[in-house]
Amino acid sequence: MAGTNDALFSLRGKRLILIAEDEEINRALLENILEPEYETIAAENGQQAMEKLIANPGLVSLVLLDLNMPGMGGLEVLRRMREDPDLSQVPVIVLTAESDSEVQSLNLGAVDFIPKPYPQPDVILARVRRTIELSESRKIISFTERDPLTGLLNPDYFYRYAERYDQLHPDEEMDAIVLDIYHFHLLNERFGRARGDEILQRTADSILSAVRPLGGFAARRGGDTFLIYCPGGTDYGKLLQSICRHSEQDAGERLRMRMGVFQRADKSVEMAHRFDRAKMAADTVRGQVTNNIAMYDDRMRERELYAERLIDDFPRAIAENQFRVFYQPKYDIRPDQPKLSSAEALVRWNHPELGMVRPDQFIPLFEENGLVEELDRYVWRTAARQIRSWREKFGRTLPVSVNVSRIDLYDPKLTDRLNALREENGLGPDDLLLEITESAYTGDSDHALAVIHELREMGFRIEVDDFGSGYSSLNMISTLPIDVLKLDMAFIRSAFREGGDTRMLEIMIDIARALNVPVIAEGVETEEQMKALRAIGCDIVQGYYFSRPVPPEEFEAFIVQGERGDESEC
Amino acid sequence: MLTLQELRDFGADVDTGLTRCMNNEAFYLKMVRKMIDTTSLSELKDALVARDLAKAFELCHGMKGVAGNLSLTPVYLTVNEMTELLRSRTDTDYGPYMERLETALKQLKQLAE
Repeated sequence: MAGTNDALFSLRGKRLILIAEDEEINRALLENILEPEYETIAAENGQQAMEKLIANPGLVSLVLLDLNMPGMGGLEVLRRMREDPDLSQVPVIVLTAESDSEVQSLNLGAVDFIPKPYPQPDVILARVRRTIELSESRKIISFTERDPLTGLLNPDYFYRYAERYDQLHPDEEMDAIVLDIYHFHLLNERFGRARGDEILQRTADSILSAVRPLGGFAARRGGDTFLIYCPGGTDYGKLLQSICRHSEQDAGERLRMRMGVFQRADKSVEMAHRFDRAKMAADTVRGQVTNNIAMYDDRMRERELYAERLIDDFPRAIAENQFRVFYQPKYDIRPDQPKLSSAEALVRWNHPELGMVRPDQFIPLFEENGLVEELDRYVWRTAARQIRSWREKFGRTLPVSVNVSRIDLYDPKLTDRLNALREENGLGPDDLLLEITESAYTGDSDHALAVIHELREMGFRIEVDDFGSGYSSLNMISTLPIDVLKLDMAFIRSAFREGGDTRMLEIMIDIARALNVPVIAEGVETEEQMKALRAIGCDIVQGYYFSRPVPPEEFEAFIVQGERGDESEC
Repeated sequence: MLTLQELRDFGADVDTGLTRCMNNEAFYLKMVRKMIDTTSLSELKDALVARDLAKAFELCHGMKGVAGNLSLTPVYLTVNEMTELLRSRTDTDYGPYMERLETALKQLKQLAE
């Protein structure tokens, strides 16, 4: 098991002992005895002792207290210390020649006595050490000091310990470092839980042996996250390398770790938050193989705060209709004259203070925390009403596709909701199209597939969005419930980039042919691209070449026009 | 010049005193000199004359602690006796004690000169 008590008890600075004793010579004798191991401060009377305790909050490890002092005596100091919740934690050894004061002192919380004349220095030192150790152990135990698995400190205790370190070393620059193991849960699954625990223990050991010589200390937070508080100026690359190397037991077990560093941590920031920031930095290296160390900078925090704000503002945005649904036309390019075939409903957020917030700033965020479900429903409702309203206005129905997020597929009422929308707005089966991203089909997909099948049985047409970005195997695709393939924009971009070629696109279109479903290309920006796509057999095109997403009133021009002519806005 | 031998001759338990000073002779002698320089019996005398036994107890008690720690046995023994009497506020003639104390201190002062 990693870690021993000395790591815990030895801060690099000495512990501080307050000697409250009015006789200068007695004080000097004690200072002389304690000096090699401890730092001392002196008080000549009770009043001064109280003042010095208050002036050094959390720093005094022990008080050596003379009972007979002019003015405020030792017993009164004990009494006052006991009344103060912080000072009552500081152990007191009473210096006394009178045995009759002992009971009174004990009742007031003194933990030990040193008689006068003083015993041998060894005896004094032993009592001092033991008292401090007991007191710290008691405090630690109340903080459930250690992680039983690795022997490292627990986060709560670690934070307190680090705060105390800061108090003792106010001028030292410190780094808050967070380290975690990539895909630890997979290691657990591959090798079994016991082996996983062993890996954590070895990692803890190697962290300790790497950071101790640097004057640092460490904790484990959550499953596989390690916290390190360490004097600044460390070579992080070397540190990470040495930890990784020592954590791996054999070559078959490649451990990859990532590290986030809040360098020269701002000491006005609460201790736990310093490590949250380091974690924020560590999270930015997710998935990167070559660069697995990241430094925190304030922009990360700003982004995080911005994200938090968007999440906080979400309920109000829904209530106040701040979200607007825009529509982007999709054109059938098979005829010479492209023909408007449908539209995609896309959400925009007109935030009262932040202005137009781009969907790529809030959609991934809401997907992560599930708010996207509510947002999707809002968009579905709006789009369904829009289809009806256009039908009433123009006498023809323009199908509109809406996005169905992966999480929606787990909503037990999904089919009821969509059915209700169709009924409320008198929509036919082909009017409201559902776009489901390819990644929803993969992974843990049995449930998702069952829902998609059900939706199709109800008559909905399913467009597979971002096709080619997921990991569907060709074998699997042939059995998937699909009505339309929508190619991932990245394919279009790379095919038409300088030096790019369209072979991949052709393969995708061949797949669609084999599945007997039409293909939509997104992100088409130029006429040349459109023509090239038409030449390789793409059916429908969406993109800035025809139009950016526009508000419904602007979209009406496309319906009126019916067919796309060259004069249309791009 | 104050020496350890002189202090031994005076009756001090030098070895014990030295132990309390982590066997640092210079430090021990410095502390003894400090005690000699700072100890004044006039306050104690005044308190006894005024029969302020509580005050006299405090003063004796303090002196006892220091003399004990430095193992200045002749001083310590006298002050210890006085402290016990004063603790119980015994109304007695402290004159002979004071004489013994004064003699011992005078002797120390001479050694230190």
